Amino acid sequence: MAKPKVGIFGITGCAGEQIVILNCEDQLMDILKILDIRSFHTALSENDEKCDLDIAFVEGAVVQPEEEILLKEIRKRSRLLIALGTCAVWGGVAAMKNEVSRERLKDEIYGPAGKIFESIPAQPLCSFVKVDFSISGCPIEKEQFLQAVASLVHGDIPILPKYAVCTECKTNENTCLLLEKGGLCLGPITVGGCDARCLSYSIPCSGCRGPVEEANVASEVEILKEKGFTLGDVHNQLRTFAAPAEALQTYFAKRGRE
Amino acid sequence: MKKSVVVNHLCRIEGHGGINVAIEDGKVARVEMDIFEGTRFLEALVVGRSYNEIPPILSRICAICSAVHTITSLMAVEDAFDTKISTQTELLRELLVQGGNIESHALHIFCLAVPDFLGYSGAFTLATDHPEEVKIGLGLKKLGNTVQETIGGRAVHPVNAVLGGFGKVPTKETLLRVKEELIKGLKDALVAIEFIASLEIPSFSESPTIYAALGSSAQEYSLFGDKVIFSSGDSREIKSYKELCNETVIPHSHAKHSYFKGRPFMVGALARIMLNGHKLKFEAKRTKEKLGLNSPSENILHNNTAQAIELVYSLERSIQIIDELVERGIKDEKPVKIKPKAGQGTAAVEAPRGTLYHSYTFDKEGRLTRADVITPTAQNLANIEKDFRASAERLVDEPEDSLQAKLEMVARAYDPCISCSVHLVRLTPKRTTLPLR
Repeated sequence: MAKPKVGIFGITGCAGEQIVILNCEDQLMDILKILDIRSFHTALSENDEKCDLDIAFVEGAVVQPEEEILLKEIRKRSRLLIALGTCAVWGGVAAMKNEVSRERLKDEIYGPAGKIFESIPAQPLCSFVKVDFSISGCPIEKEQFLQAVASLVHGDIPILPKYAVCTECKTNENTCLLLEKGGLCLGPITVGGCDARCLSYSIPCSGCRGPVEEANVASEVEILKEKGFTLGDVHNQLRTFAAPAEALQTYFAKRGRE
Repeated sequence: MKKSVVVNHLCRIEGHGGINVAIEDGKVARVEMDIFEGTRFLEALVVGRSYNEIPPILSRICAICSAVHTITSLMAVEDAFDTKISTQTELLRELLVQGGNIESHALHIFCLAVPDFLGYSGAFTLATDHPEEVKIGLGLKKLGNTVQETIGGRAVHPVNAVLGGFGKVPTKETLLRVKEELIKGLKDALVAIEFIASLEIPSFSESPTIYAALGSSAQEYSLFGDKVIFSSGDSREIKSYKELCNETVIPHSHAKHSYFKGRPFMVGALARIMLNGHKLKFEAKRTKEKLGLNSPSENILHNNTAQAIELVYSLERSIQIIDELVERGIKDEKPVKIKPKAGQGTAAVEAPRGTLYHSYTFDKEGRLTRADVITPTAQNLANIEKDFRASAERLVDEPEDSLQAKLEMVARAYDPCISCSVHLVRLTPKRTTLPLR
């Protein structure tokens, strides 16, 4: 079987996902044996910018109009498009205050120099193109990327956890930071796959992987209010990584109507 | 006669940038380092957030330097609230920063920069002819990540380093295991140094340079310091960082550039070795002699050499820190309690690419009213263009493709980190399409 032709692309973000791929030091040379990497600008000088691709891995959020065009070009030439990381899947930290006008932000930070470029509210890839598969995380977990590559070269769609970070945390028998220690923990509504990484360091979950399917956001907020957090602080935390996510948008829309 | 070099998308660097150089009638008419990375406005978006939310959000400015962004951010918040942290916390934080330095330098030297000196398109092709060197490079990179994972809980965007201390203090056994790996890594690094020593460093990019780095009265080489020192003999307090990073809008490139007393300056490994290299000890000192950086250099291509020296330094220093921690006896400390108050806090640490500043103002509840982050690449942009000009003037008669390759080498030698730089640097005028990346 021919090696799948692969492109690894970054739109706007911190390049965290590309760095995690390069952090697979032990597997990097094996990955090269099973994937035909045609484009990976962060690591290679010779990149094929036109060829058809079997798989495009795309990290980062769309924050300028030109990036929408670029993303659509990548989509057109790829059989599968895979969103890598929280920015690509949910919008990420740049999307935390999309209601604030970009013109105002440009003026605040750049002054008159801001007039020369365009900026749009940060959006995940799925706002513009069909995304075949998503691996979230800020950054992604190395193992999930490697498992996904293994599945894809065998022609399978990868299987990722659909349960919450909370489930993984309980399996690890950690003390509950939310109920027992009163921490601002988003573990119950955040999708797992990180093996409750932060919780095992006694750090509450900040929701960096985005919401789990059927997340009960309203009930999480009620618990946090009971623990003494202000609605403002809870909302800020909810908006930090995945503000454009449907579960959160629905929650905030309902909240707005009350 | 007109000649131009346009690199739409510079490869083997972090982020999205390009080069634009025009030569007319044998003279360099224009040099630009283009930045077309999208803007995330993170400093404006964190306004109103509570102090404890700031470090984890602002570490997302950059993945490669996320450890040093986190530590600098924690130090700036603690500076604003006059929080005193324990010596153990200081040592663990330094260890985390050294781990980041090891990872970043190993990545840049072996995967991104060295292929230039030997004419390869990247580490993957370099590996076919130099498998051992690439293997050592990847091993050292992994070791830097092991240090960051052990102390920070994650290689990219550490979770365990928090205000006042650490979520969980690593055990003595864990630290000693890392020490064993560091000892082995140091041996490997010294083998790789022989390879680095065999590389011929071209001199086409030489040009008078002012260097800047953190300094202190301490006898030891360090990535921390209490003032900013310049090769011109000047020095400034960290709190007056605005004077050094006096960002100016440059009409030709539409980018903000940093100048000190009207001149561009360079920050990074080469600046540190030039300013503080005399303080190096042990193998790092011998490496500096071996790689020929005992005498002053004004050649940016030596930044790769300086990174190799620092790689050895950071490995040795990490071993030292673990010894010191173990000798003091590791205490299972809880983070110091933070008492927010109105005020301003500023901190600076030497990131792999140079001095990084975070400065915040808080109201009396500890909500952020202003954030200012000055990254090394933002400070270096004016100097990069100075070096482009010096190189292009020397290479004016070369064919375009060779000129282009050499200018790319100059840009890459800085190890630019565009995700970092973009928050305050702009920017190429609007383009209708972006080069592929």
